[in-house]
Amino acid sequence: MEHIITTNGLTKRYKQFAAVNCITLHIQKGKIYGFLGPNGAGKSTTMKILLGLTNPTSGTFSIDGKQFPKDRIAILKEIGSLIEAPSFYGNLTGKENLDIIRRILGLPKNSVEDALELVGLSEFGDRLAKKYSLGMKQRLGLASALIGRPAILILDEPTNGLDPSGIHEIRNLVKSLPTMYDCTILISSHLLSEIELIADDIGILNHGSLLFEGSLDEMRKAAVQRGYATENLEEMFLSMIEQDNAARKTRVKL
Amino acid sequence: MKLLSIELKKGRRSGVFPVMLGVGLLGALYAFANFAVRKESLLSLPLPPMTILLTQLYGMIMVMNLFGIIVAACLIYNVEHRGNALNKMMALPISISGIYFTKFAILTTLVAVGIALQNIALAIIGNLYLPEGTFDAAVLLRFTVYSFVTSMPVLSFMLAVSSRFESMWITLGIGVAGFFSGMTMTTANSKLFLINPFVLIMEPAMSPNTVIDTTVIVLSISETIVFLVAGQMLMKHIRYE
Repeated sequence: MEHIITTNGLTKRYKQFAAVNCITLHIQKGKIYGFLGPNGAGKSTTMKILLGLTNPTSGTFSIDGKQFPKDRIAILKEIGSLIEAPSFYGNLTGKENLDIIRRILGLPKNSVEDALELVGLSEFGDRLAKKYSLGMKQRLGLASALIGRPAILILDEPTNGLDPSGIHEIRNLVKSLPTMYDCTILISSHLLSEIELIADDIGILNHGSLLFEGSLDEMRKAAVQRGYATENLEEMFLSMIEQDNAARKTRVKL
Repeated sequence: MKLLSIELKKGRRSGVFPVMLGVGLLGALYAFANFAVRKESLLSLPLPPMTILLTQLYGMIMVMNLFGIIVAACLIYNVEHRGNALNKMMALPISISGIYFTKFAILTTLVAVGIALQNIALAIIGNLYLPEGTFDAAVLLRFTVYSFVTSMPVLSFMLAVSSRFESMWITLGIGVAGFFSGMTMTTANSKLFLINPFVLIMEPAMSPNTVIDTTVIVLSISETIVFLVAGQMLMKHIRYE
């Protein structure tokens, strides 16, 4: 089993608050890793740490055998990302936005059209990005992550703002990417049913701590052992979070 | 070169280029219009013709340049802050410090072009309206370089401010406050106030002659470097959150 991303005791503290608390992840090459957790669980913070956007308080991580900050440029060349809200130049068109990223990554000119087509934004490529709808901005963000077909994709809530057909389209796209061009995907989403359909492995975070890591089958086994509902991912997820929250409350009382 | 082409592309429709080129052209037109209308009264002043040409028009031109620099600095980073584009840049294999230096280079070139346009106008006015044999191109060139060098600390300072504040209005407010502080301090005639970059830019306008003050030049270059390095260091430590 080859791991392309590994973290070891990764921690991020803001004064007394631990946004990420000593998490150890193992993300397999060529697989889709679903990162789940309630709001404020630390998913986005972990993703930001992996992209070098924020420094961990302690712990280490490596991406394809490389480490921040020494190999920042080499790592970022391999990663396409969409973190939180899509980021773009409002004064430029969709095409121009992607062209900037293309130039930074040193990609051929046709990669812009390729990325627009991949997310279904070809006919709106000449429109100013500030005039895009929320869903179109999200697609542009996805296109900017997919341009150049990177080896690793880090997607934080990529279906935010999309309509049901858009969600379906993006889900199918994300699912097809590892086989299309052998990439690894770390994806977070609140839509558990979406993750259940596309992820090979799951990581569940709550209050910055990793509650579970493994495949969906392993999760089912663990759920049975712990006496959780095993109907679907959502049931297992909710049971796991509820029990962790209850245990935390007990610890606080003691 | 790659960074320059990327930054030039980002500047499209941002208003940065029209603002600085517009200031240059407006300054040139102002100089023409003013000299054409007030030629007799200006040339009757008890000053050498070259001093009249350079000092009597520069005040207004300096104010235009100052506000041009403030607005252009606001706009050049506004495109990065609006739409969180800078966040995307941080997740790409590009140097954030490199982006900062390139923006500085673009603004510097635009200011240089603007000042050049204004001084070309002064050269034409000098040849057309000054008494024969009194126009001195070397003096004009020295004064051009002087006004450019004294403009640089404000540019460097405003770029550092603009890179830090997401709201363009805060940057603009600091620029306007800087202008008023410069207007107040420059009349106090204290060397200590030369620390204020907004006082330095006003120095050529406050001078009664075309003599270049070496202290002002040295301070201008030093402050430009200090603000540039400080701004770049702040950008280096800027974090996504």
